[in-house]
Amino acid sequence: VTGPARAELSSSLEHLLAGYAIASVVGIGIGALLWSLRYLRDATSPYLYFLYVLPAPVLVPAALTLFGIGFTMKVVLIAFAALWPTLLNTLDGMRGVDQVKLDTSRVLGVSPLGSVFRVVLPAAAPQIVAGLRNSLQVAIILMVVSEWEASTDGIGYYIVNAQQSFDYVGMWSGIIVLAIIGTVANLLFVIAENRVLHWHYGARAAEGTR
Amino acid sequence: VLGRYTHVYGLRLAVLAAALGLWQGLSAAGVIRSDEFPSMSQTAAALWGQASGSSLWGAVGETLEGWALGLLIGVAAALLIGTLIGMNGFAYRSVIGVIEFFKAIPVIAILPIGLVLWGATLTMKFALVAFAVFWPLVIQVCYGVRSLDPVAADTTTVLQVRGARKFLTVILPSAAPFIATGLRVAVAVALIVDIIAELIGGGTGVGERILVAENAGPSAYPVMYAYIVVAGILGVLLAGAFTVAERYALHWHESQRSAKTEGQNRDYPEREGLTLVVQLSPGGTTPGRAGSHARLAIRRPVPPLVVLVGRLEEPVLPAAVVDPEVAMDPVGDRPGSRRALLVP
Repeated sequence: VTGPARAELSSSLEHLLAGYAIASVVGIGIGALLWSLRYLRDATSPYLYFLYVLPAPVLVPAALTLFGIGFTMKVVLIAFAALWPTLLNTLDGMRGVDQVKLDTSRVLGVSPLGSVFRVVLPAAAPQIVAGLRNSLQVAIILMVVSEWEASTDGIGYYIVNAQQSFDYVGMWSGIIVLAIIGTVANLLFVIAENRVLHWHYGARAAEGTR
Repeated sequence: VLGRYTHVYGLRLAVLAAALGLWQGLSAAGVIRSDEFPSMSQTAAALWGQASGSSLWGAVGETLEGWALGLLIGVAAALLIGTLIGMNGFAYRSVIGVIEFFKAIPVIAILPIGLVLWGATLTMKFALVAFAVFWPLVIQVCYGVRSLDPVAADTTTVLQVRGARKFLTVILPSAAPFIATGLRVAVAVALIVDIIAELIGGGTGVGERILVAENAGPSAYPVMYAYIVVAGILGVLLAGAFTVAERYALHWHESQRSAKTEGQNRDYPEREGLTLVVQLSPGGTTPGRAGSHARLAIRRPVPPLVVLVGRLEEPVLPAAVVDPEVAMDPVGDRPGSRRALLVP
């Protein structure tokens, strides 16, 4: 891999990280908010679902007309698409929290906000992580699609450029790099997940050997 | 119950009206420039214009064609190969690493290859869809086949149920929830890939119309947004149809039964094992192999379709976001992972 290809790669990863970080924070935040506001949740859930199943790549042309070609367009797109799996999984995970645990924490005098951090978040963590993992895959796809459609840099641009100029060696190497990005990102995620949730898997394994 | 639901529906309609009104209001007030983002009424008019002609339905038909063909091929291949791999421990351990690697490849990376091989054709579309659907689903099928409850497995052995009968009466019902989860994801993935193949690859369909409208300039933007809305509606309809079908096919399973007892403490699908109702024939007078009269049956009353659709309301959302990877672990290689399978 020579110099230019590395530059393409780093700009791609920049978009990916920025978009994914925004999606994660906003997704968990809004998910928690909707969990606490039942009426809002009831009122908006069909529309959240609509946005979740909307195939995100169709938004590329729309984002293009709104934000033009550039960093903002890609980050907004990635963040928007990656938001929904995290958001819905957060909401669903929090709804699954044992009511007894909530009551217990209230009886023990834990403040509402405190119980969110001490009880609800840990309890919902496995599912939130599942959402984050889904979001990561969506984010990678959107990263490539957005660069592909309209861009002057990035790995997606590199592949489509190579394909259109009949540089099939370049195209294949781009594809392989992409496959490696996908695999490595997934691997890193699994490692992080095992560290963060290792108490959960430990408890599960213990339960299994009973 | 009715009171609460009408209340919620009212609330939802109000939110929809408010959102559409806000959209229209912002456009009218000039906050959103109409050459960048058309107003709600323009988009609705474009949608109506497309829907009243043959243009919209042709595009939807083409998209569905690629979706259905690809899904069919991918699912059939995954079911066959997944079952074969799952039933053989050696084969499973040999190939699972390769499958995991292929699964991690973003489908989008395969698109150029499809374009080079087939050009912007229907073949390209369904080949990509089938490829995208195959890898995640084949893993699900393997897990499902391997997740057979040891007690059920021993029971089948003792009763000497084997071959096709074992597959149909024991393995398939046991793997069904896993397969259903995989299918649910596959249905959504297939549509996304199909639309990407149209949007970028240029195969005809909804995605291609969006691209054409975008390239036609600001005057065609309402059409572009109309098709974006169509893509979303298509996603909702396909996912909804699948949920109904799943509920119908898997009504006997824990995950479906617990999803109906909706409440604050909704239970998550727990796989305590399938309810295997073993009926031994009375008396057992006929000579023959031991257990030749045993009937293995999994029985639950079937609710009518209307009731199912009525109950679709709440559980649709969670059911669609269960992540197959976290919900399911590779089974069998690690002792003890079998019990807590589907508990997220």
